[in-house]
Amino acid sequence: MTPMDWTRQPGLLKGRTAIVTGAGGGIGRGLACALGLAGANVVIAARRAETGEETAELVRQDGGIALAVETDVSDRAAVDRMVAAAVGAFGGVDIAIHNASSGLSGRSFKLEEITDPDWDEQVGVALGAAFHLAQATFPYLRDTGRGRFIVFNSSQGLHGGAMNPVYAATKSAQRGFVKALAREWGPYDIVVNAVAPAALTDAAKVYLESDPERSRKAMASFPLGRMGDMRDDIGAAVVALSSDYWRYVTGLTVPVDGGYYTAL
Amino acid sequence: MTDDVPVDEAWLRGRQVWAITAGVDGMSGLTAGFLDCGARVAQLGDDTETLAAAPDGVARISGAFDTQAAADAGAAALADAAGAPDLVVISMLPRAAMRLAPLSTLSEEEWRLGACDGLRALVYLLRALGPRLKGRGVAVVLVGPSLSLVGCPELVALTTLLEGQRGLVKSVARQWGGSGVTLNWVAVAPRALSPLFDAAPLAAKPDAVSVALGRPLDLRREVAPIIGFLGSPAGRAITGASLTLDGGEWMVP
Repeated sequence: MTPMDWTRQPGLLKGRTAIVTGAGGGIGRGLACALGLAGANVVIAARRAETGEETAELVRQDGGIALAVETDVSDRAAVDRMVAAAVGAFGGVDIAIHNASSGLSGRSFKLEEITDPDWDEQVGVALGAAFHLAQATFPYLRDTGRGRFIVFNSSQGLHGGAMNPVYAATKSAQRGFVKALAREWGPYDIVVNAVAPAALTDAAKVYLESDPERSRKAMASFPLGRMGDMRDDIGAAVVALSSDYWRYVTGLTVPVDGGYYTAL
Repeated sequence: MTDDVPVDEAWLRGRQVWAITAGVDGMSGLTAGFLDCGARVAQLGDDTETLAAAPDGVARISGAFDTQAAADAGAAALADAAGAPDLVVISMLPRAAMRLAPLSTLSEEEWRLGACDGLRALVYLLRALGPRLKGRGVAVVLVGPSLSLVGCPELVALTTLLEGQRGLVKSVARQWGGSGVTLNWVAVAPRALSPLFDAAPLAAKPDAVSVALGRPLDLRREVAPIIGFLGSPAGRAITGASLTLDGGEWMVP
């Protein structure tokens, strides 16, 4: 039985509405597909309409329910419109997942090289969008009585990677956001957590396949010997985190990383 | 009793400390301690009230951190006034982040000022300091309230900012380690840092002994010497660390 077989249990997320930002590809697409398989109504917030619609079609092909909404998450009005569309289509929001990440996140910067536009781009997506999504979904997450707010984080937010100080800082900042919000929203039964994944994204595949020796060394840092499948490993964990099974866990950063980061 | 704790003045005596403050005062207790230990202290700050709270004997310099040019000018002013630093201690607690309010009520500007601009200011500041520190074996210590380790409701923007500062410290510690600059984060009990936290709904550690030492550490007599140690040759073996100097309350993993 695979994780996704398990998360397909009838009713696990049936009738619940989940928003996933950055769902036009990569991890977000894996999350959307996993949530769709688990029965959720999936709202796919993607910067480009066509990639959002591609993800929606994948969800539908597996029998799921999906709505794609073109959304620039750094734009407050766009996030408000997306949430309004979700509520209009499905009547509310139960699960909000901020997964979108700046395209600059994977680039290497020395501290001295960071420009103001680079800063604005990364902070706008990592922190501004988390703020926008939290404010826009709060009334619905509160009203559902089983609200889930999940922020996609990174091990770089835990150990402070040298590659990109802005990324390390904003991912660490998101952890603060999650901890404080978990305490603030706890009285409303809204569970707030972060997930730090190690996902085998297309970019990771290209990077690893270009150098088998580098790949071997990289895999040696994962006790499970591999990076996670975006749907069946990362998505399945998020389905579990969104379900009632994890309703008593809040304020955490959960590494979903095959044992890569065990220093907590 | 904090009176029983001796001040360790060994390394700090005669050293030049740069104290840098943005926003409300989280520094005056520490600078008093550095002076007690025989250090010379110059303080650069962007808040008139906070600079005014600096103890006698501290050289006060007004500045700003909202642009790279302003941060560069501040670092230059410190160097002109006080000479090169042996230790740099930073506290950044923007006033905009200190107002108690649920996240749902914050305006876009309040969020930006509270959570984001303070982080950018630290980037500007570190970049301004870098050329003056690299190759000289200098420690940079950021001091903040320990509330960010556990999260504080109604201070979501501040918690976000502080944890962002902590992540930036780790990342820059990695980037600058080879040039002899260390960066560490020191978390102290919030109410020891500023009376503005008196009204905050701080998380309480539920335990028969909630604080191992039974009290928060005294900034002047206890925390300042520990920060001084981080600046000493022995202390500069430590970098990228988060040191929780809260008297043994949270004992974070």
